[in-house]
Amino acid sequence: MKKSFCFLLTLIPLIVASCEKVSPIEVFVATVAVEDRVKMSNLYFKNHLDGKLWLLAEGDYSFIVGADSHITTDSGRMDEMLANGLEHDDLFYAHLGDIADTKAEYYITLDSLLKEAKARYVEKNFIKKDEFHYVYREDTAEDPITSTYDEILYPFFPVVGNHDVTHNGWALWSNIFHSSFYEIDVIVTLENGDYAFDHLIFLDSASATLGATQIDLIRQGILDGAYDDGSSIYRNTFVFTHTNIFRPQFFEFASTFPREETFFLLDQFEKWNVTCVFCGHVHTWDERDYNGVHYLTLDAMSERNNPEPGDYLIRLNVGADGSVDWEPVHMNYTPKKK
Amino acid sequence: MMKNAFQKLFPAILAILFYSVSSAQNYSGERRFDGHHENEVYGLLLGGYNTVTGAFVGESATYVRHLTDRWSIGCGEQVQCMKWLYSAEVMGTYRLPMGKKSNLYIDGRFIYNRYQRWKMNETIANLSFLLEWNYVDLRLGGSYIRYVMSGVKERFGYFTDAAYSEPVAMTFGLGVNLLERASKWNLGIYLRNYDQFYYENWNINWGVRFLATLTPEMKLLGEFNVRPAGNLSQVATRYETSMKIGVRYVW
Repeated sequence: MKKSFCFLLTLIPLIVASCEKVSPIEVFVATVAVEDRVKMSNLYFKNHLDGKLWLLAEGDYSFIVGADSHITTDSGRMDEMLANGLEHDDLFYAHLGDIADTKAEYYITLDSLLKEAKARYVEKNFIKKDEFHYVYREDTAEDPITSTYDEILYPFFPVVGNHDVTHNGWALWSNIFHSSFYEIDVIVTLENGDYAFDHLIFLDSASATLGATQIDLIRQGILDGAYDDGSSIYRNTFVFTHTNIFRPQFFEFASTFPREETFFLLDQFEKWNVTCVFCGHVHTWDERDYNGVHYLTLDAMSERNNPEPGDYLIRLNVGADGSVDWEPVHMNYTPKKK
Repeated sequence: MMKNAFQKLFPAILAILFYSVSSAQNYSGERRFDGHHENEVYGLLLGGYNTVTGAFVGESATYVRHLTDRWSIGCGEQVQCMKWLYSAEVMGTYRLPMGKKSNLYIDGRFIYNRYQRWKMNETIANLSFLLEWNYVDLRLGGSYIRYVMSGVKERFGYFTDAAYSEPVAMTFGLGVNLLERASKWNLGIYLRNYDQFYYENWNINWGVRFLATLTPEMKLLGEFNVRPAGNLSQVATRYETSMKIGVRYVW
């Protein structure tokens, strides 16, 4: 009996240590801290993007959201998400983290996939003006804005997940996406010629804490967008982040946020007047309201976690009057048989 | 002599407290009724640093009354300044002897926490089983946690009362002591997902605990506690470090 117990005690850590997805060391000490990621993200955002990204919409618009694709060798589901967004003319595509497992070859697959998706996006939405320049197809101005291929922003916006940063994965992730903490304004032209503003906030919660730097930046009001009288300039605010706050069901994993962090976030989302918070991580669907904020936790779109076709994505439709509703988006792709 | 030693140590204790970062609960000594002193009081000072709330200092006091050799009841309170956290608890314990030097404790605990900064009221009901061997202790159990954000909200202009109940959250803890539990002094290490006034889900605290007998009635005890975030997401990250130090007095 004692021998069996000792054998089991030895065997369990061995199995855990040899599993590709498990990083035992990082249960106690992570290799890249959230502080470093946020500092890098903020510098990149300030220095390379002038502190703001923006998207233009006319009247109503929609966007598609997916989570936890965990790409390895098969990127079929991610390809399907991007194709669905393009076909539906979604304004942007958001991903809630754990985009790929941390191996260089998986990120090479992802990078190639995104390059192909951008080519399809440019082909559909832009007209080639000359050898190097493109014009947006719906830009009807006499002197339309021209962009080089590299200047065209492919509207795929991810946040970082815990599996993106284990095994030193931040080096791979940041090489493609650069920033894990950023914001985007959606400038909506209304029928009467007025403008409305919607706000997209992308938070780095991969480490189950935002970390002191990100919290300080939030407290300084970097993401607030308030008028002098304190009222928000935004009609809708959408928050995208990896770690879930609420536990979907009794038999599912609870949130990994510590107490104070949970309470800080719940309070902050209410202060931002958030319309909807999108989370992933737990691989199970959940929908609930808390203190006037709507929370959607998405199931995993990964073909390994959910091999059968199903409603793993959601699409949000934002009306010209600012109203918001969402619909599930069905995924048909099934894994390749090996 | 011990009294003098304590007086000399006291400034050092305070210095450690204010230059370190804080919080804790299971110490390295024996929990069971010693057969003579029916009353116990724990008074602790604490200090620490939390990523969300910054530096904090505070105190906690706990009273335990041994009703019989088997049954104990108690109550406690905690104030963490700067964190604006106020806590209260009541508890009851039944001890089941498991041999000469081992005991099984069945602990029931009800805790109320007020996180004033966010107008958050948290209530916790916990039932756990603590197996205490001579060198090792193991706790397993579960908690029901409910938090309610209440107060007048600027956005709504009226009183809101948003509530969330966490289904049963697992409680686990493992501690190992350097010396036998009945020793006059002891040093131990531990892993656990709780502290005296909170129960986490998947964040594993770890740290060092110590105990030293000052007089037959008084013991010096404390813990240095590391509370990371994201352990089981495999991205353990600095979240809170803290220290508790104080005395246990029995009569």
